[in-house]
Amino acid sequence: MTAYLLHLAILTGIHIILAVSLNLIIGYAGQVSLGHAAFYGIGAYVSALLALHLGLPFPACMAAAGLAAGFCGLGLGLPTLRLKEDYLAIVTLGFGVIVDLILLNLEITGGPDGLVGIPAPVIFGLSFRPQPRFLALTVLLTLLVLTLAAALVRSYHGRALRAIRDHETTAQVLGINTPAYKIAVFTLAAALAGLAGSLYAHYITFINPESFGLHTSILVLSMVILGGMGSLAGSVAGAVILTVLPELFRQFKDYQDLAYGALLVTLLIFRPQGLLGGGQLSLKFLRKGEEGRG
Amino acid sequence: MFVQQLINGLTTGAAYALIALGYTMIYGILGLINFAQGELYMCGAFVAVLLLASGQVGFVGAFLAGMLAAALLGVALERVAFRPLRGSHPLVPLLSAIGASIFLQSLALLLFGPSDRPFPVQFEFRTVELAGLPVSTLQGLILLTALGFMVLLLAFVKYTTYGKAIIACALDRDTARLMGINVDRMVALTFFLGSALSGAAGILMAIYYNATYPRMGLLPGLKAFSAAILGGVGSIPGAILGGLLLGVAESLGAGYLSSGYKDAVAFVILILVLLLRPQGILKGKGH
Repeated sequence: MTAYLLHLAILTGIHIILAVSLNLIIGYAGQVSLGHAAFYGIGAYVSALLALHLGLPFPACMAAAGLAAGFCGLGLGLPTLRLKEDYLAIVTLGFGVIVDLILLNLEITGGPDGLVGIPAPVIFGLSFRPQPRFLALTVLLTLLVLTLAAALVRSYHGRALRAIRDHETTAQVLGINTPAYKIAVFTLAAALAGLAGSLYAHYITFINPESFGLHTSILVLSMVILGGMGSLAGSVAGAVILTVLPELFRQFKDYQDLAYGALLVTLLIFRPQGLLGGGQLSLKFLRKGEEGRG
Repeated sequence: MFVQQLINGLTTGAAYALIALGYTMIYGILGLINFAQGELYMCGAFVAVLLLASGQVGFVGAFLAGMLAAALLGVALERVAFRPLRGSHPLVPLLSAIGASIFLQSLALLLFGPSDRPFPVQFEFRTVELAGLPVSTLQGLILLTALGFMVLLLAFVKYTTYGKAIIACALDRDTARLMGINVDRMVALTFFLGSALSGAAGILMAIYYNATYPRMGLLPGLKAFSAAILGGVGSIPGAILGGLLLGVAESLGAGYLSSGYKDAVAFVILILVLLLRPQGILKGKGH
C-alpha cells in the first residue's frame, strides 16, 4: 500500500511538471499545444538511450533530455508561432503523430516494444532506486520547476507574456517582441516536458511509445483547463486531481477519455476560468475581444 | 508505377479536399478551426455502414443518410461547442472543439468497439484501360463522386441566394447582418454543408479502404487541415486544389521514399507552407 501511494505521489509530481509547463504555453502565451506528450517522450527516450548506450550519469542524461526536447520545441515554434494561435494546435498535433511514427519505426528506439532496463538515477554515488528517495528527488525537481515558473510569471517577462495573451497588437505597440516571447516560452515549456520525461523514464525503467501519445497530451491539457488557464496553483490542483481520480475510478477506465472530452467542453462553457483561475487575470483574459467578435 | 501512384493519390486527395472544404468554409465564416471535422468524417462512415449492414436501406439511401447524420452532428456541434463561446478569446472555442472531438471519438469507441468494420456491400470492380492507362473503376467512381460534390458546392455558393449570403457573412459579418442576413442561420448552414461533405468523404474512404473504425477521422482530419492551409485557408478552390495536391504528394512520397513515414508527408508540407507561403497557393482570407 505504501509503495502504491509513493508511486502515485511520484506520478503526480511528474504530472505537475507537465501541467505547469503546458500552462505556460496556454495560460501565459495564449497558444494551444496538443503535442506536449511528444516532448515528454523525446525527453524520456533521449535520456534512456544515453544512459543505456553511453552509460552517461543521470544528471547529464536529464540535461540532454531537456535540451533535446527544447531544441525540438524551438524548431517547431519558429515557423508556427509567428502565425495565428490555431496553427500551433494542429502543427503540434501533427508533431505528436510524427514522433509516435518515428519511435515506432526506428530500430534504436525498440519499435513498439520500447526500451527496457533503464538504470535508476545515481547522483554522487547515491542511488535513487528506493521509492522514498525517488519521491524526494521528484519533489525537489517539481518545486524547482514551480519556483522557476512562478518567478517567470511575476517578472517583467511574465507581464509581457500576459500582455501578449490579452491583446497581442497592443503588446506589439508597447514594444514587446511578441513572436520572440512566444517562441521562447514554447521552447522553455518543451524543455521542461523533456525533463519530466527523463524523470519518468528513470523511474519506470521501461518505456514504449504508448505512454507518449495523444492520450497523454489530452490528459495534461485537461489538467490545465480543470485547474485554470493562467493559474500555476490551478495546474498543481489539476494534476493532483486527474492523477488520483482515475486511480479511484479504475473500473471506469474505458470512460476516461469520454469524461475528459465532456469535461473540457462543459468547463469552457460554464467555468472557463477553471477551479482556481478565479483571479482577475484569467477572467479578463477570457472576456477580452468581446467588441471585436460578435 | 508513377501513373498508378498518381491515381491513388488523387483518390485519397479527393477525400482530403472534401474535408478541407468543411475546414475552409467554417474558417471563412467564423475565423475558427473546427477541430472535430475528422469526427464528422467518422460519423458519416459509421451511419452509412451500420444502415447498410442492417439490410433495410439501399446504398444510395445509406450514403445520403450518412451525409445527413454528419451534417446534423455538425450543426449540433456548432450549437454546443461554438455558439456559447462566440465572443471569447479565440483559444476557448478551439479548446472546446478539441474536447468535442475527444468526446465523439471515445463515444464511438464505446459504442462500436475498436476493431475495423468492413464495408457491408461488395462492389464488382475491374481495371479498365483509359487512354492506355490502367484505372480501377472503384477509384474512378470515388473520384467522380467527390468531384461531383465539389462542383455542386461551388455552384451553390456562386449561384444561390443562400450561397451568396454565406460569402457575404464570410466577408463581413456585421455588414451582412445590416443587409438583413440572419448570420446565425448562415453559420449553421455552413456547418451543415461542410459537415455533410466530410461525411461523404468518410463514406467514400470507408468503401476505398474497406475499414470503418472510431479513430479513422484523426489522420484524415489533420491532413485535410494541412490541405486547407496549402491551398489557402478560407478559399474554396484552394481547399480542392490543396486536397488533391496533398493526396498526390503523400502517395508519391510513400511510393518513392518510405511507406513507413507516409503519414508524415502532410505534416512536413504543412510546416514548409507555414514557413514559405503562409497564405497558401491561392491566397486565402486568413492573412
